[in-house]
Amino acid sequence: MSKYWEIFRITWQQFLIYRVNFVIWRLRTIMQLLLVYFIWWSVFKSQVQVFGYTASSILTYILAASLIRTIVLSSRASDLIDSINTGSIVNFLIKPLGFIRYFLTRDAADKLFNIGFFIVEISLLILLLKPPVIIQTDIAILIPFFLSIAGGLIIYFCINFIIGLTAFWVESSWGVLFLMSVFLESLGGGLFPLDILPKNLFSALMLTPFPYLIYFPAKLYLGGMNYSEMLNGFVVIAIWILVLILLMRIIRDAGFRHFSAVGN
Amino acid sequence: MSNTVISVKNLKKYYRVHQKDPGLIGSINSFLNRKYKDVKAVDGISFQIEEGELIGFIGPNGAGKTTTLKVLSGLLYPNGGETQVLGLEPFKRQKQFQINISLIMGQKNQLWWDLPPMDSFILNKEIYEIGKQEFKDTIEKLSRMLEVGDILATPVRKLSLGQRMKCELIAALLHSPKVLFLDEPTIGLDVVAQQNMRDFLKEYNRQFQATIILTSHYMGDVEKLCKRVVIINEGKIIYDGSLEKIINKYAPYKMIKVDFKENIDLKKIEEFGRAERYSGNHVEFRVAKDEISKKTAKLLSEFEVADITIEDPAIEEIIRQIFEQ
Ligand SMILES: Nc1ncnc2c1ncn2[C@@H]1O[C@H](COP(=O)(O)OP(=O)(O)OP(=O)(O)O)[C@@H](O)[C@H]1O
Ligand SMILES: [Mg+2]
Repeated sequence: MSKYWEIFRITWQQFLIYRVNFVIWRLRTIMQLLLVYFIWWSVFKSQVQVFGYTASSILTYILAASLIRTIVLSSRASDLIDSINTGSIVNFLIKPLGFIRYFLTRDAADKLFNIGFFIVEISLLILLLKPPVIIQTDIAILIPFFLSIAGGLIIYFCINFIIGLTAFWVESSWGVLFLMSVFLESLGGGLFPLDILPKNLFSALMLTPFPYLIYFPAKLYLGGMNYSEMLNGFVVIAIWILVLILLMRIIRDAGFRHFSAVGN
Repeated sequence: MSNTVISVKNLKKYYRVHQKDPGLIGSINSFLNRKYKDVKAVDGISFQIEEGELIGFIGPNGAGKTTTLKVLSGLLYPNGGETQVLGLEPFKRQKQFQINISLIMGQKNQLWWDLPPMDSFILNKEIYEIGKQEFKDTIEKLSRMLEVGDILATPVRKLSLGQRMKCELIAALLHSPKVLFLDEPTIGLDVVAQQNMRDFLKEYNRQFQATIILTSHYMGDVEKLCKRVVIINEGKIIYDGSLEKIINKYAPYKMIKVDFKENIDLKKIEEFGRAERYSGNHVEFRVAKDEISKKTAKLLSEFEVADITIEDPAIEEIIRQIFEQ
């Protein structure tokens, strides 16, 4: 166990060394949040309700989504691709170190660091802008909310990791990863609540893993989701997690066999 | 009593590489119609290595040395044959296997680039589950042997190549591996550092009865360290045996280097053997081993000699001859 703690520690140390990069990354996150926030805010200047959402519920959605994004989306697949392409992955393969666990640890360290900053930032924002947000206190909602975030986190990690693993075969994993992140952001519900989409499209989307990354937890937070919807959601999450984990392991093992350890 | 540590039978490793003609047209062609070629990097090699042996793996560029080491350390999945290291199959990458081996590649690094070496060492301590005291002792011992005490707190990116290689070595040896794969460990080092590295490896091999396979293009490394060499070319083993024997087989001659007191006419000394180098009063001959004493005596009695030395031919020379066959 302590080996993973040590990896955690090293990851944080690197953040401290690359402070500037990190600050730029945080700035980007805040700008993105402000952008979406003000777009919606201006929409509600002239209207009271849009697509059945009030100003306060949509702004809450946006802020909740940004919290969820911080927990769910940040990921280390780019490291994986890098290490395969440069061959430095050899350093893990040669050691008694769980390959997936290694990246999971890096990911967790990455996230905790970001979440710390996010909480400070969002508190400042709420103090300064005083948006009409809904503070959820119902424990019967908060528990499924956090559970669904955990689910989304696992789904996102698996999808990313699988894309990262394709670097064993193709040289263009970077592109795929980028495309996927755009995909996940929009289909995941980071920009707007997905239920404003046409009904058929929305229902189809709910069978894919994407809405469970941001939309589903954010919607849970807002409250008003009935039990059968909730249950449905969790069943889909569970199924996707199983499928993705299985897939990830199969692809990992196939990748190892295919691996040609470039260099020297 | 000997103990087989590494056993390789008919090992094969092929790489599938896709072929492309140069230029844009070539790229488009290869995009539309991918062509593959199998590179037989290792093509049916067999050997056995006993505990405590220090083996030199030599061969020209692209011979398959690195590939063999990668298979032995469990990184590559072989296409055929049987490989066992410490009785285990490398590719399964069992913990028992991993904690007993180490691979060092002169051009690859495991140290964290932006952190001091000590941080990487501590990470390895946890990964290999090394006890606190053992860790401390090993670091102390290795850094004394390699003379690196004061750089362990400097970020790796600020170290010189030689300093970095020494730290790489420490990182790779912290868990006291029984089997060591060294791929060109002295590449890019200066003469002094090379010498240090050789002395260190020799000492490590002796002290810990570690089994070591070493590849190098510096014959000095091999000559100094390895009793036994395996010569590999185009994925096949062409020689496996003692260094001495191969020198006798391929180079049944020695070099006589003479400084005459005065400039000398080449014709006068033709009968002594083929002159490989000649400049006025300095001549180097190649002379068959069994004629050495006779010919030296004759030289000394017939000419005014200022200085004479008899040397083994350079090992590079011998290896080149073997490859050229
Ligand atoms: N990752 C790879 N993918 C495809 N082909 C490879 C790969 N690595 C090596 N090869 C090919 O396999 C052959 C053997 O390579 P290898 O690296 O084992 O040689 P080597 O003996 O270590 O050579 P050198 O002395 O130059 O390091 C070469 O023909 C090389 O082109
Ligand atoms: Mg090589």
